[in-house]
Amino acid sequence: MDKGADKEKNLKSDGQTYWRSFSELYNNKAFRDALNSEFSSEELNGLRKNSKSSLSRRRFLALLGASAAFAAAGCSNYRGKGQIVPYNKKPEEVTLGIPNYYASTCTGCSSSCGILVKTREGRPVKVDGNPDHPVNKGKICAKGQASIVNLYNPERLKEPMVNEGGRFIQSDWNNVNSKIKEALSSANSSGKQVALISHSVTSPTFKKIIEDFQKAYPVAKLYTYEVFNESARRSAWEKTYGRKSLPVLKLDEARVILSLESDFLGTDPNHIENTRLFTSGRDVMSGKEFNRLYVVEGAATLTGFNADYRIRLRTDAIEEFVLCLISELVVKRKISPFAGDSQVLSMLSGYKLDEFAAKHKLDQKVLNYLLEDLLKNQGSGAVIAGDMLPESTHIAVNFLNEVLGNSKLYSRESESTDVHPLSTSDEIETLISSLNSGNVDVVIHLDSNPVYHFSPDYSYRELLKKVKVVITLTEMINESAELSNFIIPLNDPLESWGDYKTRSGFYSLQQPVIAPLYNTRQKETVLLEWTGRNYSENLYHDYLKENWEKSVYPMLGTTASFDKFWFASLHDGVAFIQEKPEASGLSFSKDAFLKSVPMKASDGYVLLLQNNNTVGDGRFASNGWLQELPHPISKVTWDNYAAVSPQAASELSVNSDDLVEISVNGRKQVFPVFVQPGLADKVIEVSLGYGRTAAGVVGTGVGVDAGVLVSAKPAISDRLYNNISVSKVSGKYELASTQEHYPIDSDPLLKDIHKRRGIIREGTWLQYKEDPKFLEKERHKMDLSPINKPPVYAREDYKGYKWGMAIDMNKCTGCGECIMACSIENNIPVVGKDQVIANREMMWLRIDRYYSGTPEAPKASFQPMLCQQCDYAPCENVCPVAATTHSEDGLNGMTYNRCVGTRYCSNNCPYKVRRFNYFDFRDHFKDSYQYSESFDLMANPEVTIRARGVMEKCTFCVQRIMKEREDAIRENREVIGSNVTTACQDACPSDAIVFGNVNDQDSQVAKYREHELGYTVLEEIKVAPNVTYIARLRNIFEKE
Amino acid sequence: MSFDATYTRELPLVEGRSSFRELDDVITKPLDTKPSVKWWIGFGISFTALMIGAVCLGLTFWIGIGLWGNNQPVGWAFDIINFVFWIGIGHAGTLISAILFLFRQKWRTGIARFAEAMTIFAVMTAGIFPAIHTGRPWLDGYLLPYPNQHSLWVNFTSPLLWDVFAVSTYFTVSFVFWYVGLIPDFALLRDRTKSGFKKLIYTILSLGWRGSNRHWQHYERVYLILAGLSTPLVLSVHTIVSFDFAVSVLPGWHTTIFPPYFVAGAIFSGFGMVSTVLIIVRKVFDMEHIITINTLEKMNKILLATGTMVGYAYIMEFFIAWYSGNPIELFVFINRAFGPYAWAYWIMFSCNVFFPQLFWFKKIRRNISITFILVLLVNVGMWFERYVIIVTSLHRDFLPSSWGMYFPTIYDFGILLGSFGLFFTLVFLFAKTLPVVAISEIKAVTEGAQPKHH
Repeated sequence: MDKGADKEKNLKSDGQTYWRSFSELYNNKAFRDALNSEFSSEELNGLRKNSKSSLSRRRFLALLGASAAFAAAGCSNYRGKGQIVPYNKKPEEVTLGIPNYYASTCTGCSSSCGILVKTREGRPVKVDGNPDHPVNKGKICAKGQASIVNLYNPERLKEPMVNEGGRFIQSDWNNVNSKIKEALSSANSSGKQVALISHSVTSPTFKKIIEDFQKAYPVAKLYTYEVFNESARRSAWEKTYGRKSLPVLKLDEARVILSLESDFLGTDPNHIENTRLFTSGRDVMSGKEFNRLYVVEGAATLTGFNADYRIRLRTDAIEEFVLCLISELVVKRKISPFAGDSQVLSMLSGYKLDEFAAKHKLDQKVLNYLLEDLLKNQGSGAVIAGDMLPESTHIAVNFLNEVLGNSKLYSRESESTDVHPLSTSDEIETLISSLNSGNVDVVIHLDSNPVYHFSPDYSYRELLKKVKVVITLTEMINESAELSNFIIPLNDPLESWGDYKTRSGFYSLQQPVIAPLYNTRQKETVLLEWTGRNYSENLYHDYLKENWEKSVYPMLGTTASFDKFWFASLHDGVAFIQEKPEASGLSFSKDAFLKSVPMKASDGYVLLLQNNNTVGDGRFASNGWLQELPHPISKVTWDNYAAVSPQAASELSVNSDDLVEISVNGRKQVFPVFVQPGLADKVIEVSLGYGRTAAGVVGTGVGVDAGVLVSAKPAISDRLYNNISVSKVSGKYELASTQEHYPIDSDPLLKDIHKRRGIIREGTWLQYKEDPKFLEKERHKMDLSPINKPPVYAREDYKGYKWGMAIDMNKCTGCGECIMACSIENNIPVVGKDQVIANREMMWLRIDRYYSGTPEAPKASFQPMLCQQCDYAPCENVCPVAATTHSEDGLNGMTYNRCVGTRYCSNNCPYKVRRFNYFDFRDHFKDSYQYSESFDLMANPEVTIRARGVMEKCTFCVQRIMKEREDAIRENREVIGSNVTTACQDACPSDAIVFGNVNDQDSQVAKYREHELGYTVLEEIKVAPNVTYIARLRNIFEKE
Repeated sequence: MSFDATYTRELPLVEGRSSFRELDDVITKPLDTKPSVKWWIGFGISFTALMIGAVCLGLTFWIGIGLWGNNQPVGWAFDIINFVFWIGIGHAGTLISAILFLFRQKWRTGIARFAEAMTIFAVMTAGIFPAIHTGRPWLDGYLLPYPNQHSLWVNFTSPLLWDVFAVSTYFTVSFVFWYVGLIPDFALLRDRTKSGFKKLIYTILSLGWRGSNRHWQHYERVYLILAGLSTPLVLSVHTIVSFDFAVSVLPGWHTTIFPPYFVAGAIFSGFGMVSTVLIIVRKVFDMEHIITINTLEKMNKILLATGTMVGYAYIMEFFIAWYSGNPIELFVFINRAFGPYAWAYWIMFSCNVFFPQLFWFKKIRRNISITFILVLLVNVGMWFERYVIIVTSLHRDFLPSSWGMYFPTIYDFGILLGSFGLFFTLVFLFAKTLPVVAISEIKAVTEGAQPKHH
């Protein structure tokens, strides 16, 4: 055609010599025309060369490509992906894709538990407990796990700041340090005080640095405080046993435990260890009889709801109860040598248990059980009193334990030590008066926040104005920092060195797992600088090492070199030393008991200021993951509240979400109300640590500050007040709870519905002993045989390994540590209070709490609920795009990329464990807070960040399963079920969660699945779930 | 007993012996004249509602369906309620044009065209919801089985996928059916119009129809075949929509009565909507003699029949819930009637079961204003039926721990309003551009149109 003609011409011009005819050969014009128009038509003429665009084909394609590229570039809205650069020189120990684990110590509270930090490519991604640590043994509480969020908190201070005329100006270390040193020297020379205010000091080397500091500035004084402390217990111990150190209680050996207003399984700082020890006495696999827990409390605590017998009693009557109990034992039943002690007898003369029981409407039958149990188990019982109870109660409890011979349970080998005792209230009082008289020139807040924490009675905020220089060392802005002249930005604990000592026999070491993200230093380094040392990166590290070489290494008495010892200790996170407790024997003195003035009960309302599992004393307020962790009992997130009993609610004519004003000796605060079943009448519980006014975008204004109710000179104790006044005030406040409230007994349709549906199946120890298969008989009444046939859709036969989980409800206390572990492991976003109210919380694992019985004295049952990985998963067959499918090893998988978000799977999930990204929650919460650059580092690289509009759910930590599979392939072996642990399992302090290959008959999980107490939830709908629950047995005398 | 001639004589379908020309004029009048103020007001309201819906939908696309009230456990709410509601509305048209055609119910003629158009608009409106209810609507293409390099296939066990096929088939067949019926009318309009532009359009659309015998023969054959094809679809589409619920394990959804119950409900709601719109249309366009009171009375009888069937289903669900002995099932139904959403249940029950019982009375059946109120209530009731089925079943299912209440947001209402806006905007445009009564068919049923042997 046209082209051919051109070619022809070209050929000619190129001097080709072949020809087809003579006319061609002679280049006849007529022939050429004819040739050109051989296939001529109107259309083709349009393609003639001379009428064509000058654009060549190549150029056209080039332009087409370029414009497409421009259009694509112009329209794309992708974030900058950053650069991925391989290591030029591979750092030692770091292999891309392989995590490294480092042992360190948690400093979230004064317990100083050992932690194991998982790092990926140099960035910490998860905090677990250090298995070598003798206290927490591989487990860590929610606060410790969530401390990783603090490291990456985008609002951390990045530079030192100087207050200039009310505004904080970024400064540099040299400038700040020289100014501070100047202020310190001038205070020193003028003889004015330098006050160091710190939380409890549990680090021996830090204590030494403070001593160094005091040598350099003799006017310096250290004050330490802790909002949640055990001062009363310690001073009571000192008065009755004459020793400062508390021995460790061997809770695992206790057969009978009587807990008095003590939340030792819940909010107690040491609850991880307590939970492990307590639940070791409730192991259904061991076949041993369970221990029995009696709880006498006014509050509604996790410990109370885990009790076999829970006795509701107003908190200010608990001491009277203890004295009545002692009187019953000593006076009436003549137990113990004290029965012949006239002093003791006269002291106890006024106390009668039966009268007391009648007055407070206690169940006489339960009291008899308690007495019998205590008597029967003399020497193997434990009576524990709560931290907030006054010293006199603790003295009485010590006496009771002594009467019963329970001091046998005090460990002779291990005791808790106190590196530096907390300041007494008198000492704080002197600080306040020196501040008042202008005798303090410099105040240094050592990572503490007294402006928020101190009782308003001290007017500390106003007194700070009288101080020349206020310095706050902190990671994040807080109330005290706001009133300071200098703000010193601190390293996060994960960027710091340190040593801690809380028990005899070992030290716990802290090592940095990442270089400081910002221009920060740790407080020890800063103090060393102020004592005159020159800054270097290793300043504190060297100091610490040197101190250990001098003071710890010799105690070891080993021939190994110090370096070897040091690195071994760093590796382990703990260093064991030969150390004898102060005195191996205990000598009891009854004098304190005789002298103590008992707490007086009242008739009015009692206020308990409680600890919590989330924000602590407020220092975790800016941690959204903790704020969103539901309260284990009320399931309320993002708030504290005044918990009132149903009886008090009707008396005050309030309901949940109403407001009440609580006033204690003129100090007032308004709280939202939450009607908490099970509270003692006239007891009001409020959690401390909320209502921060300077805690960043997340923490500021969350909840109400109950600390303003704290008295500097409390009549009973700083966390317990009676005769308070409560009144309803107008207004509403919506609390965000993750569980719907419905009447637990008034509606016959709803009463005990969880039991009627077989969701919660329980029995008693006696029932189990009589008939181990009692549960079998209580199975669903429905005849399942007609539907016990293969379902419509055939599924895998699971010939190889198959994953399954068992949860022992006898061990599960409902604490919720597993929820946090799951959230951090699986990159679960924070959704915020508004979305929790809208029922859109994202936790893959939740702990369901059910009440049975009456609202006044309910029983609670807890049940961790997660994806059950059903063999016949109803979610799978309804997904139109096959985004959720079954794997050969029994997992119900979720393909996020394929999911279009119809939510049909969630509707069809009987357990409602699926979670939907209604928004891009990372973007939606607090103005893209979670998209801050630093948070990118926190994400677990093994788990996809889910997009908006995608369904997600628990996958039994499939990333960990894949790791094991890869290992097995590489090592050319079978997959071993026990090599895989899920995040929730790792975190469970009582090891209630068991996971593994159910096809392996020797595995623990297979044994649990076969256990006669095992059941699956909603078995009648025949979805064949793979999570087996072991029915809880209450160790009670009655039959349920 | 004397022989009553009037008793067996059929009532005239078109009243008042209009000539063919008069019929043409009446029916094509809206097409030939400029829109009236009434039309503009109606269209303006509908279009505003449509735009409100569009804004709400746009924001939903931009920010996420979190703007709606859906949550855990109520994963579906207004989105699927609206879908099922509009699909239900879309059932009357095909029923009238196909099933009644096959049964030679000639009274259908006056309303068939309009009902078919409403079917198409209702299915169009309904079709939006499955597309927008997803979390990532830009990936809705995944729901179509197309070959791709990932070798990914859709999940044929999912009722949602069946929906995709059922609804698209239904829409296609209904549309073709409607269009085929329109061909002779297009030809008539082509021949009548004086505007060159309109003539062009009508010429194209009439596909060269000349009204020859052969044309009519083919036309009748095609119409019959399409009617035969549509008839099972009327029953199957809502059956499949009901499978969305019936195939699940959720108590309150997992019931075998759903397919017939949904079909009855769909016809019920469809007739309700057709009546609602026709009562207005016959008034506005002066077609009272074509869409006669006799026709409306017949529709009211169907409403009475289907409403009673629906009521039977409501009661039967309760009976089965009790009879099955399944405590969770029983709980769901007691909770429906007496739980937190009891108000919705009783709105549904009274609008769908109690009030239509008034149609037992002839006076009420033939009273236009009461009929109008009752059919409006049917619309409300049928929307609430879906609300009750979807929301109350989801909000309290198996595990009490995951129970939760559902609260719609302003975006939910905006999109619901927008769906009505879209439907009525299309209805208004239809009424102004196409003959709302099948001209050719109506001529065949006027008095004197058929040859008679005297």
